Amino acid sequence: MNDYVISVLANIGMFSFLALSAYLLLITGEISFGQQAFFAIGAYASGIATALWGLPFALALVVGAAAGGTAAGLVGLLTLRTRGLYFAMATLAFAELVRLGLQQWVYVRQIEGEPVGPNGVDGFRGIRYVFENNIAPGEFLSIIAGLLAAVLLGFALVERGRLGSLLRLVGADPLLAETQGVNVKAVKVCAAAAAGVVAALGGCLFAHLNTYVEPRNFDIMLGVHSLAYGLIGGLGTAVGPLLGVLIDVGLLESVRVFQGYRMIVFGGLVALLLVFMPRGILDETRLRWLGARLRGRRHAPA
Amino acid sequence: MIAFLQSLIDGVTIGSAYALLALGFTLIFGVLRRLNLAYGSSILVGAFAGAAVFAQWKAGGWAVAAATLAAAVAAGVYVERLCFWAMRKGAAIASMVSSFAVWMQLEEFLALLFPGRTLSFPPLVERSVFELGPFQFRTEYVAMLAIAAALVAALEWTMRATRFGLAVRAVTEHPEAARAMGVPVARIAFWAFVLASAIGGAAAYLMASAEEQVTLHSGMQLTFTGLIAMMIGGIGSPRGAVVGGLVLGVVETLAQAHFGAAAREIAAFGLLFLLLVLRPGGLLAQDFAVREAAALRRV
Repeated sequence: MNDYVISVLANIGMFSFLALSAYLLLITGEISFGQQAFFAIGAYASGIATALWGLPFALALVVGAAAGGTAAGLVGLLTLRTRGLYFAMATLAFAELVRLGLQQWVYVRQIEGEPVGPNGVDGFRGIRYVFENNIAPGEFLSIIAGLLAAVLLGFALVERGRLGSLLRLVGADPLLAETQGVNVKAVKVCAAAAAGVVAALGGCLFAHLNTYVEPRNFDIMLGVHSLAYGLIGGLGTAVGPLLGVLIDVGLLESVRVFQGYRMIVFGGLVALLLVFMPRGILDETRLRWLGARLRGRRHAPA
Repeated sequence: MIAFLQSLIDGVTIGSAYALLALGFTLIFGVLRRLNLAYGSSILVGAFAGAAVFAQWKAGGWAVAAATLAAAVAAGVYVERLCFWAMRKGAAIASMVSSFAVWMQLEEFLALLFPGRTLSFPPLVERSVFELGPFQFRTEYVAMLAIAAALVAALEWTMRATRFGLAVRAVTEHPEAARAMGVPVARIAFWAFVLASAIGGAAAYLMASAEEQVTLHSGMQLTFTGLIAMMIGGIGSPRGAVVGGLVLGVVETLAQAHFGAAAREIAAFGLLFLLLVLRPGGLLAQDFAVREAAALRRV
């Protein structure tokens, strides 16, 4: 694999975290425009952990995930009373506040004679953990893939179990869920915090792969993209958002033919696709059909 | 005190353009119950068309304004057909994401067509400053305020006194009931969309002519300014949209005057977040659920 393929794959992997984070909220019935905030918090917190505090990467992941999860849980708690568009706008406002706050925040220390740390609009330079520890790009890619696999496994377990149905029930009809004795508020806050952790993990990887992050990386565009991935790929399964990322980053950004016309092609395609498949490619109906087909094959006599 | 009042005046002026943007948003959201993320970029198409007409033929104010409105409406119709009309009922999120995709599309289209990305725009009136007592007024902003106020009044009249306005209000209140009363809901939605695009085009024209330029970057800004102003006032209420626009304009201007340029955006989003947390539903809040129940009782 050459470096270009590796970097494309790494990008697909990192944005998958963000798309999964938005997806988790989508199935609980909330549209968030602000998951990029927790991606940013994860990126900055883990960057500070390795570059300023000298912690190992594994601990930095924990720091980043904890910071992202805490922030997301708090936002989830604060926005409990809002719903639908109001929730979407509240998360958007929070994300923009985080981005604007990071533009103002300066926490620079001299490390080995060089200034390191978040420096306002100029961004956070010198997150060199991967470089200093001689982690090859391929090696880092396998870290991304491993983490993503772990998160996906978590999603698979949740969706198969009772918790998954609970989440979808809360998403489909919170009132009904409440009358069934579900603690809707607790479910929502927990889902928000979990989504924050997933986004923050992506942010940790993003910061360490690029060695440099700036507030501009985490604007509204990123958030709306991550939301769109789930809808394009399908809301029936956690594979859906991955499919969305694959289509956008993997196919369109990387194939040079589309250069310059990418958004014109992609925008039109997405709009048309959603006319015919309003819940994305892998929606619940198509999944059931696929599942039935696969099972049918397996049980069919050879 | 004088400085404070001066910021207040400046804020109300810029807020009048925000109010127009919020009105466009509210109109669309009211009849369709869906969010049009392509709003800013579709009216930006209008502003770029106006700027192109100006650059090509050194056209005067009226021609530029006509081109701006026409192109904004054309782009709006494209968005409506592709992202809203073609969508099945109930696919609100799909509509929103689809309008996001079209936003990206329109912006790329403009970037390809105008590689410079920033075009100059003719001023509405000659740039000058006059003083009234201790206060300074910029002529172009006064003109903006006057036109915006006239447009708001005209829209208010349309909503109150015409059959079309009545139909729009009926659909906004309860689409099913309106349909049962023989209102052609899809057609009304289409024309409301056209009207909203025209209002947006007017807002874009006023803002661009006050700044004497348009940039590609302002599409996103237009969308979110309108959206924030609408959310502050409360969704679906035209009066709320006007109040929201003015409040947003004043808060932004005051923040900038006291804490510098960086505080402008922080104040806007901070206000929005606080408001949604403390008073979900906006300043002039009347929740959709409550209104729908009230409408049902009347039916």
